Amino acid sequence: MIDIHVDEDACNGCGLCVKDCPMHVYELQDSTAVPVKAGDCMGCLSCHEICPTQALEHRGVYPSRRHYIDLRVCEMLKRVI
Amino acid sequence: MSEGTIEHMKESFHTDTIYRSEDVPLGCIPPPEELEDTLHGLMKLNGLIIRSLEEIAGRGANAVTYRAGKKFGHEVAKYFRKIDNVEEALEELSHILHGQYTFEAWKPADRASYVIQENGTTFIYLVFHDCIVRQTLRRNGQEQGGPLCQTLFGYVVGAIEEITGKRAKLEIVHTGPNACLKKLILM
Repeated sequence: MIDIHVDEDACNGCGLCVKDCPMHVYELQDSTAVPVKAGDCMGCLSCHEICPTQALEHRGVYPSRRHYIDLRVCEMLKRVI
Repeated sequence: MSEGTIEHMKESFHTDTIYRSEDVPLGCIPPPEELEDTLHGLMKLNGLIIRSLEEIAGRGANAVTYRAGKKFGHEVAKYFRKIDNVEEALEELSHILHGQYTFEAWKPADRASYVIQENGTTFIYLVFHDCIVRQTLRRNGQEQGGPLCQTLFGYVVGAIEEITGKRAKLEIVHTGPNACLKKLILM
């Protein structure tokens, strides 16, 4: 079971997650995204990618393997950050 | 290119290894953890092939790759035991695909069964988690759901048809960065 948390302070109510979610997990209530059907979330994390304010947090998601991360770029980023 | 440079290049390929015909390599050389460059090269190559195929064949590219995947699915699955039950067939398929793709049957919270009947069609939702196709497309900045995804669809359909002996169809419902939702339609 996936648990979704929306940071109400960060959410700007753009509604992109509402439009993008194929399972209609989110609804806009008082200009804030609310996960009304978290049980229908299959963990694709499209909402994470589309959220401009990074207001979403999913717990219990299976993180798929990432082969495309370039280690050299990561090393460079680590030096900068 | 001067002769000195060529000699220098040749030197890097010279070893004193004695290789006999019976020396069958039993593991990857080099070990998998050193294969990152190879993997990235392969992903770039796959992306380029698909991009070129799209440029030349247009929408027909999907049909070509779907056909290729389906043929591959039939080829791979013909050595596996035949099962009538689709759910058991999916379990068998997840063993076949393990390491390349992982998937699970999925249903919305309000559904009682994984096998859903709607508007005269019977289908099962599949959530694909680990997927080398998704990694390749994202590695190259390409859109999901195109010809490379069709290869995987064909592969799954071919394998399911081979295992169950029934016809099947797969539809993309949604593609995401972490998982994709697909609909396996049973015919």
